[in-house]
Amino acid sequence: MKTLVIGLGNPILGDDGVGWKVVEEIQQRIDDPHSRSAWQIANHYSLSAISHAEQPSAIEFDCAAVGGITLMEYLIGYDRAIVIDAVITHQPIGTVSLFRLNDLPEHSTLHTSSPHDASLQTAIAAGQAMGAHLPDEVIIIGIEAKKIYDFSEELSFEVEAAVPRAVDEVLLLLEKETHYDLT
Amino acid sequence: MQRLTIDPITRLEGHGKIEIFLDEDGNVANTYFQIPELRGFERFCVGRPVEEMPLLTNRICGVCPEAHHMAAAKAADAVYHVDPPPAAKKLRELLYSGFYFTDHTTHFYALGGPDFIMGPDAPVAERNILGVIHKVGLEIGGKVIQARKYGHTIVEMIGGRKVHPCTSIPGGLTKGITEEQRKEIEQMGRWGIEFAQFSIDLFNKIVLGNKAYVDLIIGDIYTHHTYYIGTVDEKNKVNFYDGKVSVVDPDGKRIGKYAANEYTEWIAEHVEPWTYLKFPYLKKIGWKGFVDGKDSGVYCATPLSRLNAADGMATPLAQEEYEKFYSTLGGKPVHQRLATHWARLIELLYAAERIVELATDPEITSPNFHTIPTEKPTEGVGIVEAPRGTLTHHYWTDERGVLTKVNLIVGTTNNYAPMSMSIKKAAEAFIKKGVVVNEGILNRVEMAFRPYDPCFGCATHSLPGQMPLQLTIRNAKGEVVEVVKRD
Repeated sequence: MKTLVIGLGNPILGDDGVGWKVVEEIQQRIDDPHSRSAWQIANHYSLSAISHAEQPSAIEFDCAAVGGITLMEYLIGYDRAIVIDAVITHQPIGTVSLFRLNDLPEHSTLHTSSPHDASLQTAIAAGQAMGAHLPDEVIIIGIEAKKIYDFSEELSFEVEAAVPRAVDEVLLLLEKETHYDLT
Repeated sequence: MQRLTIDPITRLEGHGKIEIFLDEDGNVANTYFQIPELRGFERFCVGRPVEEMPLLTNRICGVCPEAHHMAAAKAADAVYHVDPPPAAKKLRELLYSGFYFTDHTTHFYALGGPDFIMGPDAPVAERNILGVIHKVGLEIGGKVIQARKYGHTIVEMIGGRKVHPCTSIPGGLTKGITEEQRKEIEQMGRWGIEFAQFSIDLFNKIVLGNKAYVDLIIGDIYTHHTYYIGTVDEKNKVNFYDGKVSVVDPDGKRIGKYAANEYTEWIAEHVEPWTYLKFPYLKKIGWKGFVDGKDSGVYCATPLSRLNAADGMATPLAQEEYEKFYSTLGGKPVHQRLATHWARLIELLYAAERIVELATDPEITSPNFHTIPTEKPTEGVGIVEAPRGTLTHHYWTDERGVLTKVNLIVGTTNNYAPMSMSIKKAAEAFIKKGVVVNEGILNRVEMAFRPYDPCFGCATHSLPGQMPLQLTIRNAKGEVVEVVKRD
């Protein structure tokens, strides 16, 4: 199974770039030989590679400042996607939430839709209609953001503090061999 | 006074909001189009080396990073007083044409087109690219995705990565292209010409073949008589990457052309108390308010404006379509804003033809793609045509090339005044006493600004998830009397 872990947002627009920070942090943990999670992910790779030799499992990481159709194009060829993005849902700043793409009307993220083309849901439906291989499951990790209108490379204190929690959520998802049951 | 709020505007970059104030009779008293401005970009840039700007500025906007990359690269060239070699300019223009090809395709099929292909009264759930694909056929949907892929590929080959290019530096580029890449780009361009012609045919059939749409386009509601600006080459033909900015009056008469470093002589900015964003206007004419006409400095910078401000297109097939455009719509200039969608398709064809022209230029694979700057850096301006309007970057540096001041006039900002006027006129026409404000009515108001494809956030900002369009009607006491909501 091919999984894409993608951080969304603008890395120079304050809390908007939190998705990038989370993905960078995950990559650092994976590179760290002393990290327990790194061991588990490495183990996951090899186990899957043995049990599904014809279709080895793979986890890829990316960061992007895109939405809508362009984001859909990023997802082509993957079986599962984990999207990390800033959200404004009027919960306490720094709250980490986890939901499926189809739940988005109630749990908005800042980058899964693009008003210049289409929402990610519509874009995925359009891509699937045209025969593109797109993930069956898109899981969103949303981090409640505060400062998203000021150019800065710094996160707000509460959002910075939420990064390790979001990283844990993603690693938990990656460590599950089967699809994560969100219900 | 009643108050209607369209908040947020669907399919619009940044968190825009339209407020419509009604008088006691239920007619439109005034409209306000507001956008929260992203703050602190200048402060963010000051203290950084100017050569970082092509990388930094393409993070301002998630919609047209390539445009910011190019304007920044040209401004950085100017700061270093260095003229890139011809091959570098051609490669940059080739990259840029690939970007235009993607952007204009997306706008037509996903944003502007649905109003016509699905119809202005179609439910919002169908008025999108998915609806378009189901209506015009899966095969065409596949072509749209293919077109976007080709555009992205050209950007990636020359720009080093897709969407956010990183190869432009003061004096040119960090890399060139191989003969193999050149061939591939040429093939993609030839495919693109056919695709653009197909798109124009589709427009002819669906839009021009429907009397109701033609009446909507040529009618008064979506018409404004303003000045127009757009970059032209030395033969006064439309150019996206380089040239001078041509300015024409509402009669279509050219009142002048300005080079990048002369922009402050031509453009000034007006401030209103109800919005943070400024309203650029023609300095030589002056700000006379949100009004049409020759005495008003309001100008427009869009695909339609570029066609109006030029004498023609530089490529043969696009030129044919250009002539057809003006003969069908009664000569130059065309003031009907909805015709912008058609103008955009003519530019799409031009972009594809230009890709082939540049990809077959003997110099395009030249290894001479960079001139090392030798002058002391000072100040410079770079202008390109972003898909949404003329984009100006102005930088000042110290003698080390470290930024001390930055000023940007982004594509959409040019159109803030004409867009506000368009919204007001459409609101006045459709929202009246006794009229039930339904989704079709709301969409017709949105259609007034959609041709401009505004991008006010000018950051990677998108609207949160699925944000329904909500219109709230309040009575004079501010109480909600009716809510119209899109789900």
